[in-house]
Formats: sequence, C-alpha cells, structure tokens
Amino acid sequence: MENFLQFNSVSYFYQTKDNEIQAVKDLTFSVNENQFASIVGPSGCGKTTILSLTAGLLTPSTGEILIGNEKVGKHDGKVGYMFQRDHLFEWRTIWQNITLGLEIQKKNKDPKKLARAEELLKKYDLYNFRNKKPRQLSGGMRQRVALIRTLMLEPQLLLLDEPFSALDFQTRLLVCDDVYDIIKREQKTALLVSHDISEALSMSDRIIVLSSRPACTKQVVDLSFEGKTPLLKREDKEFGRYFETIWRSLTNENQKTS
Amino acid sequence: MAGILKPFGEVLPMKTKKQVNFSQAHKKYIKRLKQEKILVVFLQIFILALLLGLWELLAHFEVIDPFFFSSPSRVIKCIASLIAGGEIWMHMGISLAETVIGFIVATLLGAIIAILLWWSERARKVSQPYLVILNSLPKIALGPMIIFWVGSGFSATVVMCVLICIVITIISLLNAFTSCDQDKILLMQSMHASKFQILRKLILPNAIPEFVSVLKINVGMSWVGTVMGEYISSSAGLGYLINYGKSMLNLDLVMASIILLSILAGGMYFLVNLFEKRKQQ
Repeated sequence: MENFLQFNSVSYFYQTKDNEIQAVKDLTFSVNENQFASIVGPSGCGKTTILSLTAGLLTPSTGEILIGNEKVGKHDGKVGYMFQRDHLFEWRTIWQNITLGLEIQKKNKDPKKLARAEELLKKYDLYNFRNKKPRQLSGGMRQRVALIRTLMLEPQLLLLDEPFSALDFQTRLLVCDDVYDIIKREQKTALLVSHDISEALSMSDRIIVLSSRPACTKQVVDLSFEGKTPLLKREDKEFGRYFETIWRSLTNENQKTS
Repeated sequence: MAGILKPFGEVLPMKTKKQVNFSQAHKKYIKRLKQEKILVVFLQIFILALLLGLWELLAHFEVIDPFFFSSPSRVIKCIASLIAGGEIWMHMGISLAETVIGFIVATLLGAIIAILLWWSERARKVSQPYLVILNSLPKIALGPMIIFWVGSGFSATVVMCVLICIVITIISLLNAFTSCDQDKILLMQSMHASKFQILRKLILPNAIPEFVSVLKINVGMSWVGTVMGEYISSSAGLGYLINYGKSMLNLDLVMASIILLSILAGGMYFLVNLFEKRKQQ
C-alpha cells in the first residue's frame, strides 16, 4: 500500500512554564507499507516527539496523522515501540517478558497467540533461553527479545527510537542486521529515528531529513541498493554518495543556524 | 547453542555447562577465597572473645567498678536467674509482639499510603510538606499525647513503633515508585496498559529491592519505637526491664536486657535477610 503512514502538515507545541515551544512545524511525509523509513535530523529537533505523535501518545496541535487511511487516535493498538534501551523487566523471564503485552490485553490464554510466541522464539534462536532472566542474556539477544515482545502485539507499524544506541559498535552492527532481518521477514512497516546517518542508510528504503527545531521535512531520499543486508549495504558503492547527499542536507542547515 | 553465539560474536555471560577441570591457578584462587572467609569469621569471633575477656578481667580485678559496668559472668548469672524466674519470657514476648505488630502495621500502611500518593500526583504535592515535617519531627515528642490517646502500655508502644517506621516507609517507597524509568511506563502505555496494570506489573515489582531495604531499616526502627514506647509508659517488656533495672540500680539487669534485646533484633534482621535471599532466587 502506498502512503501507509501519512503526516499531513502536522504541528505540535510543547507547553512550558515560560513559553510555548513549537517542536514540529507543518510536517508532511509518508511511508509505504512494508517500507523501512528513517528520520534523521540534528539532535533536539523533535524526532522523539514525532514518534510519540505517531504512537498516539501525543495529539497533534494541528494537522493529522493517518495509518492505513485511519486517523491516529489515542490507544488504538496500531504501533509497537522500541526504545534506546531494551527495557526488559528483570523480574520476569524471557517468556514472561515477551508475553507481557498479551497479559496486559488479557490475551495470554489464547493458544494461537502463545503458539506465535513460541514460534518467534524458536525462529530467532531464543527458545532455549525462554526461562532465563534478561540479565543472563547478551545485549544483542536482549534487543532481539525486546523486538519480539513488540511484535507479539502484531503492530501495523514499528517505531524504533535509536534502538541500538546503547550497544557497543560491533554489537550494534550485528544487531542492526538482525533486527533488519526480523522486520523484513515479518513484513513490518518501520519508522526509525536516529542521528547516525550510516545506520539510517544501512537499514532504510527511505530517509526523511528534518530541519532543526521546529522540525519540518527538508528532503526525502528514496534509496536503492544492490546489497541486501545493512552490513552489505555499507559496502555498496552508492552508500558514500547517499551519505554525502544526506550529510549536505543536514549541514546546510547547521551552517545557517550557526 | 553454536547458532546463538554466531550472529553476535560475543561471549555469553553464562555457561550452560559447569566446568569440571580446573587449572592450578583456579584452585589456588578458590583456596585463597576460602582462607579469607575463614580468617574473617575467626577475627569476628576473636574480637568478641577479646572484648568479653577484657571486660571480665577488668571487672574481676576491679579496674572498672563491676557495680556500674557489670561483667559477662554477672550478666550470664542474671540471665540464668531471669530464665529460672520464668517471667523473662513474658517480657520478651511482649516486646517482640509490640515490635512485630508495629513493624507489620507500619510497613503495610506505609506501602498503601505510598501507592495512593503515587496514584494521585495532586495528593503527592499536597502531602509533601506534611511528610517533610513528620519526617524531621522526633516522634518521641508525641509520647505523652499517645498515652492520652490510646492509653499506656502495649497499645501506646505499638503506636510509637508505627509512627517511627511509617514516615520513612512512605518516603522511601514513594521515591522508588516515582523514580521508575519513564520509558518503561511509555512502553506499558504503548501496550495500552491501564494505570492499575502499570502499578501491578511495573511499579510494584520494580520497587522490590527498595521494599526489602525498607524492611531492613524498619527492623531497627521498630525496635527503637518499642524501647522508647516502653520507656515512656509500660509495665512489661525489655524496655521496661531496662528502665526498672536503672531505677533499682541493678545494672546487671540492664545489661542482660540489652543482650536479650540484641538477640531478638538480630534474629528479626536475619529473617528479613532470609526473605531477601528467597526473593532473589
């Protein structure tokens, strides 16, 4: 489906004691179904606000956000969230962690859902660890558990808020590959925010470059690589060219403001 | 297993198989650990024996006045006669009952109040100055009022105990509840958890380590409450015995009561510790 996620001139104001801050201004962009899109922008430009708006945790001041042609309202279960840290609950086993969402939505007796949980664990090499506590797992495995926990609620759209920034570089590259693989295999639409251009490049089909605050769309770059995985894409000859395009687009802005 | 290690290229922090063949260096390391442990226990016992021995000798040769300082042998004799008299079980039982009741009431009530304050941000803001003042107020100052309100003896002591424990319980637990990671709450919200579910599945289990440390603090605090309560007004209990011994100038009795008190308090702390270890498993 074309334009699965749509932002139509969305603005958002934060209220603080001293003033009103416009975090997002007339933001318009779209992401197609099963596409992996990334938002890059200077730090503090309101990337996380955009994710919260998409998740329905914040309501736009003006404009509208559509997912599959339906307006995003509060609490309608369309999106899954992945954070900078995995936020696994230490007092729960891996199995209890991934079924957390089912438990909350009182679906944890549903044999179909439980079978799905088992299937995902087996598919992604975590089945043997289902009775372990999160602290017994490596950083990369924990991030995978967090992803499966999110997938369990069958979100139409995955939101990734710099989900790898807490990992060391080597793990990061590998987990990146891993998460990308899972998202593609499960055929999910994903929206990643990152300030790491190469990470965004290696994972995305589309990159949305934002201006500094208030965030609006500066440029949308559709990518096509011969390489298939994030790691292979990094070796692609196009990679450097794309990097430069996006870097230019970002730094133009910075020079203007400074 | 190999398949799991492969995509990450990092060593997993756990081993599924226990190592059987140890190197010489490892054996040495284990031996050193054991020796260290033995040495620590030995020193602990040695210091106790040294202090008791010194105390006994100094009292025996009247370097210190045994009338005021008592001595281990006199304390043991005193405890033996207390046990022979039989009344000591009643005193210990009453103090223990007061402490345990005060401890449980303060912990439960404090936890309930902390939950309510977490639930309502407004209630939290409104109650803050009261909590601060109650926390800094020496609760013993309320002693005379307590006697008039609930009568002297057992109930006054329990109330004193509760007052001393409850404020710190509320403050520590509330702090643990409100310091829960915002992203974790966001995660729960993105799964459409209700506020009650957030409380039950995230806030409460997340605060368990803090809860255990509150329990440990409350063991000490509740004994303070009991002894203070018994000092102010009582006709039974170890605090009463200490006070009685003081007025009769029977310092052996005072020392004996203190020893029994520390055995009971130590025992209670030990139980809480056991609970903590259970929880960790």
